[in-house]
Amino acid sequence: MARVKNWQLGREMSYWYPESRPKKQFAAIFDTNKCIACQTCTLACKTTWTSGRGQEYMLWNNVETKPYGFYPLGWDVKLLAELGSQQWKGSVYEGRTIFEAARPGERALGWRPAEQDYAHPNVGEDDCAGNIEKGAAFAGVHMAWFFYLARICNHCTYPACLASCPRGSIYKRPEDGIVVLDQSRCRGYQECVKACPYKKVFYNPMTGTSEKCIACYPKIEKGLQPQCFVNCIGKIRLAGFISRPEDANPDNPIDYLVHVRKLAKPLFPQLGLEPNVYYLPPVHVPTQFSQQMFGPGVEHAVREYTHADADLAGLLGLFGSTEQIVPRWKRTGDFVYGLAEDGTELVKVPLREPIHERLALDPKFDVMRTNCP
Amino acid sequence: MKSSRFSFVASVAIAVGLPACSPSHPTLASVEVLVQPSAAELPDDPIDARWNSVAAFHAALIPQDMVEPRQLQLSTREVQVRALSDGARIAFRLEWTDATNDDMPMPAAFTDACAIQLPAAISADVPAPQMGEPDRPVEITLWRASWQAMVDGRGDTIQDIHPNAVPDHYPFEAASFEPGSDAQRAAQLRYAPARALDNPMAGPRAQPVEDLVGHGPGTLAPALTTSSTGRGKRIANGWAVVVTRRVPDGLVSGNRTQVAFAIWEGGSQEVGARKMRTGWTPLLLEVKP
Repeated sequence: MARVKNWQLGREMSYWYPESRPKKQFAAIFDTNKCIACQTCTLACKTTWTSGRGQEYMLWNNVETKPYGFYPLGWDVKLLAELGSQQWKGSVYEGRTIFEAARPGERALGWRPAEQDYAHPNVGEDDCAGNIEKGAAFAGVHMAWFFYLARICNHCTYPACLASCPRGSIYKRPEDGIVVLDQSRCRGYQECVKACPYKKVFYNPMTGTSEKCIACYPKIEKGLQPQCFVNCIGKIRLAGFISRPEDANPDNPIDYLVHVRKLAKPLFPQLGLEPNVYYLPPVHVPTQFSQQMFGPGVEHAVREYTHADADLAGLLGLFGSTEQIVPRWKRTGDFVYGLAEDGTELVKVPLREPIHERLALDPKFDVMRTNCP
Repeated sequence: MKSSRFSFVASVAIAVGLPACSPSHPTLASVEVLVQPSAAELPDDPIDARWNSVAAFHAALIPQDMVEPRQLQLSTREVQVRALSDGARIAFRLEWTDATNDDMPMPAAFTDACAIQLPAAISADVPAPQMGEPDRPVEITLWRASWQAMVDGRGDTIQDIHPNAVPDHYPFEAASFEPGSDAQRAAQLRYAPARALDNPMAGPRAQPVEDLVGHGPGTLAPALTTSSTGRGKRIANGWAVVVTRRVPDGLVSGNRTQVAFAIWEGGSQEVGARKMRTGWTPLLLEVKP
């Protein structure tokens, strides 16, 4: 095991391979407060990549309800229960990662879901948990809370799937940090399925190999965002590239939200993979739960989100505004601009959409308007 | 021509230092090959009566606990090995106890399997038994119960796993595709990248075995071609498998090389490096007059 720096943990940790960061690192931000679990992202991915034989049960992208839903069943709580104490001292993680907690003979602490664990995604998981007292939904945390968690492969800096593959069939692309599984080399041992704590590698019984999200890299190579991003009805997603904290560039929308404003948080950072999909934490959820899921700093993130200034509100308006990856951004007055690396304007979004009031009485014809479906 | 016929004896003996067999078996054993005229085919059926007259070598199995991911639990304890040769090919018959028939690889489910490993070159100094070494490769022939099931007729659709499954739609089965057309095949491969890249794992299969080459742990790769054949059958208490491969290059009568065996019990989540194995065992080829 090598010693590597994991900035999300605020410390070094043990990993199977030495630290080797790609030239650029694909990253994404999902706004949990906007997701309505319409599953359009899921279907966009399914149609594009996993409509073949043996892929029937696979959802490289899924949306599940927290805290009641899982895909596969119990993917997070099973591992959290096995990992033991996960205490933070400020921004430094004092518990063990899945690499540090690996059992003898293993490279990471993990488990393999059985086939039936994938069998019933979303069934009954977002039935209302109770009445919400009048006004509580606007007040902040309330006790009938749940939220939708959209998930793809996190294209981790320290992937457990990559570390666990005894054949070296999984690698991070040096040009963009996307984690891919070599389909010509895989022999279907499912070590990656076992090790990935997010359960985002899937075994295909028809091809005898494991398969996973590829972040739509053919689109990334053309400067376009992945399918699940551009098909998102709620415009909750933004794809781009993230820098290390010490190299953060405020002009980079991902860096701005993750490093500068510290608004976007990784999913279960305590597991030690330095995942590169970040979440704007849900505002109605008790801090204790959010902190376990998104690490320290969620209170700050929620406060910032609910009191967004013009820059923040403007940048959040860029989510889902264009198919193109937006590497740079700026706000000028009431508009926010998505820019190419060379400063070329890619998209322009108003902070507030213009409002047109349609009067019930048509003054010209002096008749009442009706709203026909 | 009768005088040109060969008769061989393949002897498999326990090497010094290998774990002892169970007390019911001798600590040193050999398998004598019955005289096989070259015109006669080697028995490829594991329940062929000819195997009954071949003495068995009882190879003790140990967990593969040297390389991560390691096998730390003892599962299959022994494999019985019989061997016959016609001078060009060697047929190994492996038999081991396995209460469950695991031939359906699925998420978290693995297939029963066995493998035979020999050094790629005959030399007194054998490569490491853990899949060989970078400059001293090993040749491996792998048999898998799941491949046997496919060769025996099991299809590769979801209904072959779950007969009542009803997929909504496969894009390559759209009415716009002419059945069996190149366009349809191309569309199908789009959703089966391992097949598109000719990964031998992806099938379809004509043989339940695959020839492989190893240059050390994690380097296992398909041989240029698979010339070996195999056939496995469930027997009362486990598996009996015949794997037939060519005689190793340079192995002539009176000469010896080494052989090692591995068994995977799919029901115990054994796959890849998680397996039961033997160490190197001498393999002697002799012509008997």
